[in-house]
Parts: sequence; structure tokens; C-alpha cells
Amino acid sequence: MPWSRFDSNYTAPTGGRRITYCEALREGIDQAMGNDQRVFAIGLDADDKFGVFGSMSNLSFPERVLGTPISENAMTGVALGAALSGLRPIHVHLRVDFMLTAMDQIVNYVAKWQDMFDHQVKVPLVIRAIVGRGWGCGAQHSQTLHGWFAHIPGLKVVTPATPYDAKGLLLSAVADDSPVLFLEHRWLYKNTGDVPEAIYTLPLGKANVLHRGERLTVVASSLAAIHALTAIEAHGLDVDLIDPRTIKPLDLDTIVASVQRTGKLCVVDYDFPFGGFGAEVCAAVTERAFASLQTPPTRIQFPDRGMPSSGVLERAYYQTPDRLAAAFGALIEGAPVARDLIGAGA
Amino acid sequence: MERPRTIRRDDGLWLLQRMRLIRQASERIARLYPTDVMETPVHLCIGQEAVAVGVCRHLTDADKLFLGHRTHGPALAKGLPLPKLMAELYGRSTGCSHAFGGSMHLIDLEHGLPGSSAIVGGSIALGVGAGLASKLAGADFVGVSWFGDAATNAGVFHESLNFAALQRLPVLFVCEDNGYSNVMPKSAHAAFDIPSLADEYMTTMTADGTDVLAVHEQAGEALAQIRSGGGPVFLHCPTKRWMKHQGHERCDIVGNGIDEQRDCPIRKLERVLLDTHLCGAGELEQVRLSVEQQIDAAIAFAESSPFPTPAQLEVV
Ligand SMILES: Cc1ncc(C[n+]2csc(CCOP(=O)(O)OP(=O)(O)O)c2C)c(N)n1
Repeated sequence: MPWSRFDSNYTAPTGGRRITYCEALREGIDQAMGNDQRVFAIGLDADDKFGVFGSMSNLSFPERVLGTPISENAMTGVALGAALSGLRPIHVHLRVDFMLTAMDQIVNYVAKWQDMFDHQVKVPLVIRAIVGRGWGCGAQHSQTLHGWFAHIPGLKVVTPATPYDAKGLLLSAVADDSPVLFLEHRWLYKNTGDVPEAIYTLPLGKANVLHRGERLTVVASSLAAIHALTAIEAHGLDVDLIDPRTIKPLDLDTIVASVQRTGKLCVVDYDFPFGGFGAEVCAAVTERAFASLQTPPTRIQFPDRGMPSSGVLERAYYQTPDRLAAAFGALIEGAPVARDLIGAGA
Repeated sequence: MERPRTIRRDDGLWLLQRMRLIRQASERIARLYPTDVMETPVHLCIGQEAVAVGVCRHLTDADKLFLGHRTHGPALAKGLPLPKLMAELYGRSTGCSHAFGGSMHLIDLEHGLPGSSAIVGGSIALGVGAGLASKLAGADFVGVSWFGDAATNAGVFHESLNFAALQRLPVLFVCEDNGYSNVMPKSAHAAFDIPSLADEYMTTMTADGTDVLAVHEQAGEALAQIRSGGGPVFLHCPTKRWMKHQGHERCDIVGNGIDEQRDCPIRKLERVLLDTHLCGAGELEQVRLSVEQQIDAAIAFAESSPFPTPAQLEVV
């Protein structure tokens, strides 16, 4: 299985077959299993009729899809043990919030196993989790948490924004010999885009420039990247939009080079603010390109509190492309940005 | 198991009223749900009412009940006022969780409901914590951990039972065993027999969870043992979930073995009340009607309540 032969150019193609983000994931998983019989999928409800929101429906190798009890912590250890014994598991969680019951295994075991033994072993383990808001789901079913996971040495954190990225990054994650957390935003599942039928991988740690512009650098991943792109295109904003694709490893070079041109940085991060990904990008850019910054960097994140349930509060809590456009416009003009545009509690 | 066929009239009427409240409110929710006036996932407990009501008849406001995601039944049985539940489902600031919680996160401090959690398993430990608090404070309230059959898959279930038993804590574990984890049958999620396993840790009782008199009797015995310092008790109640795991539709799992005529806990109780001449048919109908009126009033309250304002998102 030489996975490396599938390495792809990292710009999305156009004019080809269009499928959904969900179908792209499904195809990636199916091809990973077909390409390498050591690949198997495991997880609570992984084998039921809903097929993990369709991302694992009708796979070609059902004998390599295992349902589990509600035992996320132990099952993570089981997946790690299997990875240490020659297999390449994909452990899936219907919601990232459920995966939190496995933090002992993820942080103390999965993330540490290679460092503890000076990388004598490979840990080819992918942990998929669906992140983001649902519909009045409240504080325990709406989190994203990519910044928090990226804090842990030993975990790669992948956040695909487009169908093309979903498939290519999924295949890269499976091909990787170290643990990868693969976080899929549920609001992206129905988005469509160009996806080649052939198997391909995208480099982990290489950003994707979604829009070229001169007056502001915006860094945004996953759903935030799509919202930012919508805002920029709808209002014709002169913005450089960078989707890092992977929170960790982070393609800082691309971000810094952009800020050196635009002189302004805004991170749109659909996650909690304190000590998060937004803070990391702002700090790193400030360290690397302090002299280029014309204004302090800006973060647009969630308020620093758990998600509410009521629709009225949800609509205030979460950003929209329109509100992002208003914030970007103000930043470009050097005007003050209203508090509610950067996260009410920020 | 011998089923008690008699009941005191006041108990019988209370059990009937609360079961009807839960049933009729759930049916109303199911009817309204497709209109999206309630923007929150709901896990209804139609068919399972007997467990909530039979147990809660023996609980006081001081006893602390911790719930999972299937909240409405036990919360209403414990005393959560229906208007506060409806307002929460309608996302209004008069809801029991001020519109922050939604269906899965209910609270009512006055009635011994310190909150509920939607991550399966974790709240089992919280009931044990309530039992520990009671013991350490020399108080006489009981902690109650409420969960489904699949929560027994989780490590926290075993850790909680073990600790409660080691410390002889005043805790009642109630397993509402509807046989399914979403669409996964118990045979696919548990390689053990739940009451046999629980029995390794503590006194374990089983009551038919579609028969409120059976639950009421067993729960009474269990709580008498707990309150007299006899340590924790596990109450296993096999029951039936008539609805899909989530949402407003009937359960469509093939072979679920549900017969709504035979398995209805309300019909079963009404039959006993009539047969033993505790109530007449007119009185039973009166109960149904007065519950309908309560539901109308609760919905009117919810609909006329204000929505929260975004200012409430200010970090506290
Ligand atoms: C840790 C965790 N894993 C998965 C889920 C998703 N989930 C919610 S309810 C449920 C089934 C629970 O079944 P059971 O405990 O028997 O309770 P019931 O729904 O039957 O009342 C699952 C798998 C969750 N909420 N938490």
C-alpha cells in the first residue's frame, strides 16, 4: 500500500464531478478500505442504518465496520491497541462531545504513545468526530474544540472545509503513521464541490488560499472558512482568505506571508476563545511579523460560555456570513468592530 | 414476581394523574413538534411513564434526582411544573433552564432536580455524589441516578455502583430498560444481564416497567431499605419505548414487541382502579380532561412568555 503515490496538488479542481462533503467522506473511507485491508472502522452506531449521517452507508467492506457499545473510553484504547498491532483503525464519534468521555485514552495514551517510546512505534489511528452546532442541542452537543485538541502534543488536528478537502485529507489521515483527529462540521455535510473519483491525498500542514486580496488577511477553517468566503464574495471584499486545512500542523508560513502583504489579521474561529486557535494564530503572527501589522490582530470566536439551546440565543451566539462581512468591512476601513460581531462575550 | 392488585385511592389517583400528565404532554409535544415551535431535540417517554411515576411517588423534594437525556417523564413525576417544561421547549426565558438547556437539560431546584445531562453515563455518578453528600452531612435525603439500559455499557456505570456499594451510600439506581440504544437492541450492546450484574454490587430488584403498581411497590421497598441505612439499591425496570429514540414519530424498529393496548401502563392502572371500585369511569375521564386543561394552560404560558435577549449571552 504505498500511500504516498496518491499525493495531490493542493488546489481544488473545477469543472469535474460534483458530490457532497458527506459523499466525499464516504468515498474516501471506502477507497481507504479498498486500498489497504488493514483499514477498518469502529464506533458507536458505526454500523447502523443511519451510517454515521450517511458518511459510512453501504461501504464495500461491511465486515470491516464494527459497532460498539456506549464505551468510548475503552473503545479508544481498543483502537489504539489495534493500531499498535498492525491495523489502521478509523474510530468514529457521532458527536465530538461523546468523544470527551475518552479524553484519558486520547490524551494520555493515543497522543503520548509515540513520544513515550521515542517513536519506535507507529500509531496509524484516525479518530473522526462530527463537530458543531445542531438545532437547539445546547452545551453538550454543539462543541468544536479543535483548538483544545491541538494543544496536546502528539495529535494532528484536521478540519476539512470542502468536499475535495474532506476526501483528500481523510485519505491522508488514514495514510499517516501518527494519530490524527479528523473533525467534520455537520453543517458542511450537504455542501457540494468538485471531487476527483480517483484516490488522492492532500498534505497535512499545507494551507489552502480560498480568496486573494490585499487589504486584510482572514484565517478561518471548516465552516468558518466557508462562511468567510461567502461573506467576501457576496460583498466583493479585498480579503486574502486562508483556510489552514489542518489546525495542527499549522501552515504559519502561508499566513505570515499574507499578513506581510496586507498588514492586517483577523482569525475567524468557531470555537471557544480563551487560549484557543485564534489566540495561537494571533500570537504566532505577532511573533513572526510584528513589524508588518498595522493594527492589532482581531479574533472572531464564540462567546466564552457554553452554547444555549433557545433558537433566539443560538442565532445571537453563532456568527453568520453577513455579520462576518460587517466585521471584515470595518477592519478594512480601520473602523471599530461592534462587540457582537466578534462574539458577544469576547 | 407477584403483582400487587390493590392500592390506596390517593396513591392510585396520584399515579394516574402523573402518568396522564406525562403521556398527554408528550403526545401534545409530538403533535406540535413538526411545526418547529420547539427548536430542540426531544426524547419522549411514551410507554415508559410507569417507571417515572412509580418511583417518584416515594421521593420527597429533598431527594436529589439526576437524569440523562430522556428527561420529561421523570422530571414531571418529580414535580417540575409543566409550564416551566413547555416554556423551556419553546425556548422562552420562563423555561426551567431559562432557555439555555432545552429538552435534555432540565432543572428544578425546588423539587430536587439539580440538572440533567445529555452525555450518556456521566450523570450516574452525580446521583452517587448526592448520596455521599447526604451521608457526610448526616442528612436524610437520597440520591437517585436515572439511566437507560445502554448507559450500563459505560465504565462510569460500574465505577459508580462500586463506590456507592463500598460506601453504603443512600442511592437508588433506576435503570429504565427499554431494550434499545437508539436502534441498537440490548443484545448488541450488553453481553451481560443487567440485574445479575448489578446484584454483584448491591441489593437488586426488578419491577415490570409497564406496570405502575409493580414499580410503586418495588420502589417503596427499595427506598425503605435505603432510608433505613441499608445502603444503595438497584431497581431494574424493563419497559417499552413506543417512540423513536428522538423526535415525534412512533418507533419503527421491526420486532420491537410493542402492543400499545396490552403494554399501556395507563390502561393497566385504570383497569385496576375500575375493578377494585376505587374510581368510576366518569372520574377517570375527568382526570384526562383536567390534564388536557393543564397542558393547554402550560402551552399558553409558553407561547405568551418572552424570548430571551442576546444580552443574556454576556459572559457571567
Ligand atoms: C457518551 C455518549 N455516547 C453516545 C451518545 C449518543 N446517544 C444518546 S442517547 C443514546 C442511547 C442511550 O440508550 P439508553 O442509555 O438505553 O437510554 P434510552 O435512550 O433508551 O432512554 C446514545 C447512544 C451520548 N449521548 N453520549
